[in-house]
Amino acid sequence: MDVSRRTFIKTALIGSTGVSAFGFRLEPVYAQTQALRISQTTETRSTCPYCSVSCGVIIHTLGDKAKNVTPQVVHVEGDPDHPINRGTLCPKGSSLEQDILNDRRLLKPQVRRPGSDHWDDILWDDAINEIARWVKKTRDETFIEKDAEGRTANRVETIGWIGGCTDTNELNYLAGKFMRGMGACYYETQARV
Amino acid sequence: MLKESWESRIQRAECLAAKSDATNELLAFYAKLLRVQREIHEYLRSRRGWLPSGYLEQDLPVLRVMVPAVLRAVESSGPAALAEAAQFLLRTSEAELDQMLFEQWLQPSDLQFFAKAILQPYARWLAESGIRPGDRDLERKENYCPFCGGCPQLAVLHAREDSSESGGRDLMCSTCLTAWSYRRVVCAKCGEERPGKLGYYNCPEYEHVRIEACDTCRHYLKGIDLTRFGWAIPLVDEVAAASLDLWARERGYTKIELNLIGL
Repeated sequence: MDVSRRTFIKTALIGSTGVSAFGFRLEPVYAQTQALRISQTTETRSTCPYCSVSCGVIIHTLGDKAKNVTPQVVHVEGDPDHPINRGTLCPKGSSLEQDILNDRRLLKPQVRRPGSDHWDDILWDDAINEIARWVKKTRDETFIEKDAEGRTANRVETIGWIGGCTDTNELNYLAGKFMRGMGACYYETQARV
Repeated sequence: MLKESWESRIQRAECLAAKSDATNELLAFYAKLLRVQREIHEYLRSRRGWLPSGYLEQDLPVLRVMVPAVLRAVESSGPAALAEAAQFLLRTSEAELDQMLFEQWLQPSDLQFFAKAILQPYARWLAESGIRPGDRDLERKENYCPFCGGCPQLAVLHAREDSSESGGRDLMCSTCLTAWSYRRVVCAKCGEERPGKLGYYNCPEYEHVRIEACDTCRHYLKGIDLTRFGWAIPLVDEVAAASLDLWARERGYTKIELNLIGL
């Protein structure tokens, strides 16, 4: 029986277990496969939270999607396909991973008492109450109802607000309403960056 | 733009073959195949007064001269199945061989080892000459080669001199070895973009090679990360990380395009 080229090649080359599609022995490669320490990452596109340039980033998260495993961010890089930054990041954006992972991140409120050389942990409620008492005391003592020319001022010059470029629009709206309502005029949000 | 020479591929394959017992056989053969592919490329490139037309039918009389060289190389150094097939093809008529090459050119298949291996340096020379294939009417999509319409063989994360712009992804064509830009975080087969459906599998044993898999279409290809190891030669390092292919296969993933080792 004549064997056509197609029949012969197909019969000869279709791989079976233990060989590749072209007949290479794969036992040693299989042995290597069993020893591989495979980890899975996910890549997620996101936006740098800092300034208004809104550079694109890709966040690499380690985890195999198992329900009892907490995904762990392992790397953040600029998104090379993003039209704004084309993969570049400024020093702040480049350190985004540290925003998440650095072990010196503050995870609870702390207070350093006058004359103290260290920071003490404080409960959230206690911190908010203490700040509120200080704000009221300072405003009551230093509120300027009229300026030196007798014009109505209604301002507080002893309280300031320092925001940050990662603050959300919603937070800034509330902060603006609150601070203006109190009469505070020193208000910095780094919004220009 | 990714630029590799045949010589750099051969050297890399021989270097990696000497380092790994597990993939020594695969890479030693691949190095020999690359040598004969380089001969084909050199032969086409050095012909005085001749440039390819881009139509395989017209260019075959020139290309055909080098076909026995490939068959003899595979016969002498390939695994038994390939060697036997090469012997068979050496006895096959010229018309049958032409037909085999035509079929691969018009309807590429990663199971046609000989046709793919022979046409790769020809297609590479077309790409370098800027002569588009005139008779290869394949669907042009974002995830197919913009030059010849071929499937992607692998992905490359490239490093630039200005390292802050690194990390862009290219796909490399399995036919003409052209590299074209392709977005990150997108499946190279089906276009899936949801991060939860795309998995990237790494291991310390191959720090610069990863599996880029999609749980929607269950296909994958290997990515070579030049930002982690700039000396890698993607076409060869992809072959060398053969154990990753077996790992992916065990988990039910199908490779978009088998390489010339059949993995």
